[in-house]
Amino acid sequence: MEEENFEIELQNIRKVYGDLIAVDNSSFKIRHGEFFSLLGPSGCGKTTTLRMISGLEEPSEGNIFLAGEDVTYKPTYQRNVSTVFQDYALFPHMNIYENVYFPLKMKKMSRREADPMIHQILDLVNMGNFEKRLPQQLSGGQRQRIALARSLVNKPRALLLDEPLGALDFKLRIQMQKVLKDIQKDVDITFIYVTHDQTEAITMSDRICVMKDGMIHQIGTPDEIYNSPATQFVAGFIGDMDFIEGRADQVSDGEVVVAASGSKFVACRAVGAIRPGDPVCFCVRPEKVHILEDGEEDGRYINRINGKILRVVFRGNDFEYTVKAGDIEIRLIVPASGTFVRVVGDTMKIGFKSEDVIVYSYEGQGCHDEQKHAG
Amino acid sequence: MMSKNTQADRNPPADKTAGQTKPRGKGKKYLVGLPITVWLVLIIIVPILIMFATSFYKKVGSNIEPIFNFGNYAKFFTDSIYIPIFFKTLLLALAVSISSIVLGYPLAYLVSRKVKRFRNQLYMLILVPLWVSYLVRIVAWRAILGRGGVLNTLLLDLHLIKEPISLFIYNPFAIFIVLTHISLPFVFISIFTSLEKIPKNLINAAADLGANGPRTLKEIIIPLSMPGVLSGFTMAFVTALGDYIIPQQLGGPNGLMFGNLIVSQFGYAYNWPLGAALGFIMFGIAVLILTLSNKASASEGYLE
Repeated sequence: MEEENFEIELQNIRKVYGDLIAVDNSSFKIRHGEFFSLLGPSGCGKTTTLRMISGLEEPSEGNIFLAGEDVTYKPTYQRNVSTVFQDYALFPHMNIYENVYFPLKMKKMSRREADPMIHQILDLVNMGNFEKRLPQQLSGGQRQRIALARSLVNKPRALLLDEPLGALDFKLRIQMQKVLKDIQKDVDITFIYVTHDQTEAITMSDRICVMKDGMIHQIGTPDEIYNSPATQFVAGFIGDMDFIEGRADQVSDGEVVVAASGSKFVACRAVGAIRPGDPVCFCVRPEKVHILEDGEEDGRYINRINGKILRVVFRGNDFEYTVKAGDIEIRLIVPASGTFVRVVGDTMKIGFKSEDVIVYSYEGQGCHDEQKHAG
Repeated sequence: MMSKNTQADRNPPADKTAGQTKPRGKGKKYLVGLPITVWLVLIIIVPILIMFATSFYKKVGSNIEPIFNFGNYAKFFTDSIYIPIFFKTLLLALAVSISSIVLGYPLAYLVSRKVKRFRNQLYMLILVPLWVSYLVRIVAWRAILGRGGVLNTLLLDLHLIKEPISLFIYNPFAIFIVLTHISLPFVFISIFTSLEKIPKNLINAAADLGANGPRTLKEIIIPLSMPGVLSGFTMAFVTALGDYIIPQQLGGPNGLMFGNLIVSQFGYAYNWPLGAALGFIMFGIAVLILTLSNKASASEGYLE
């Protein structure tokens, strides 16, 4: 592992604007060909991090390495990375061909030399027939492809994408996600992808770096991020999550018993130092909560709640129920098929396994603040 | 559809003109624009039409008679005095507008892109001359360029010259300097505005794609600021073309410009028809330049 050559490495990067710490003590390494996402709510420092890699921003502290070379203070135009900007930043006075030729022209490549490369890259993004058009004459998705082609034609070491799909409508976004992923496989270039859309990050990335308030909360594969969120914030930000406030009752090796609203719940996973009596926050994914039919005795569902249905939302494939029992409100998602519809006010017995529960020690504030933040 | 229905409701079917009346809202909008339209017609269109008509009149003795003829326009082409001065004036206007751009562009570029501290103060400082009366500026320039002026005193003190020289004033050079000074703020504003319109991201993208500072300037900033350069050029050109006070005050014997010729027709010569004809020739040039630059900047205006 240690001998592996990393494409990009950040060492203890810190960026301060006046009193504001935009990025704090960030370090990570990205392998060649990896699709790496920086994910977080707006203002978390993900774009600033990207701009420091591209050289548009200088870090206050720390170092950045590209293929082992320290580029921390190298100007943007000398770094072999390319950015796809959110608004595409296509040059409006040049047609598509000229736009794509631009980076090659800057390398002093003649038009004749560049021509086959331009055609090849425009074909790759399926925009071969648009050479003579001006950027203003293209749709958002088409401009996106041109921006991509322009950044890739130079064969950069890494492609940096700053919320590239943010301006597109939903359908086009889904389509462009596939295009991006396919292109990345074709060109075998490292992609660093900034997004606030957790679904996008999960579906596209090899690894994700979740950030908040300038701090890195977790770096891991989508599976790790989703199934073992390292912090309460990550748990709330990625996917859907039920949070319940409680107090640690018993703490033993590999098991925490939490008391909340007069009931006790068992969790197999705990994050942070938790002692009995500590306020904690425990969470479970709504799709891991099951309805227990009357008379059904499934011992696996250790944690049980008897409550009343507060809300029913039909979501096409499934129903989302909100069940209230005492102070606890818990949402669960069940497939629409095979269940008869329950209505508001019905009593419902639900249960979930102890291994699906994660307990976090309080991070300064209650868990529901976090939840709001994530939403 | 909705508005049509309400319109029909408002006009009772008995009203025979209901079908022909214009929608009420539209009529009101016309009324709003009426005063200004009347005003503009009275103070601009009507005088121009009167002058245009006058340019076809004829001076008989000391009277101006409404006898339709092209003699005044013919005189411009046949009398040997007009054409050379006309071209001299065009050349001067060209020189003034080019030098204003050569000076104004770097200035606008620096203030827009390079200066961080005191940016607004600098901007105001460049515009301050606009607050000073045109005549005051002429007098000030006389104090700088004149025989006993600042420039001569300076050169004398530096022992570069032995006695005051009059190379600086009462010649076309003086007109050129002062007209450039007067045009500069206008050219500056129009270039500055178009530089400010260039999105920062395009500059970032250029750097990102391997363009250093000078190349970004050449490939991105200059092409995208061309509309500002063109409108600055037009403003400077038209100002310099029609000015007659500066040539009169600072131009000396060789500084007679086309504007002075026109003015004299309305003054001493008392030949309004000829003056009007010469005026319309200049007007035509100004309109031509404006049209060309409008067309050019319409095709260059990518950032609207």
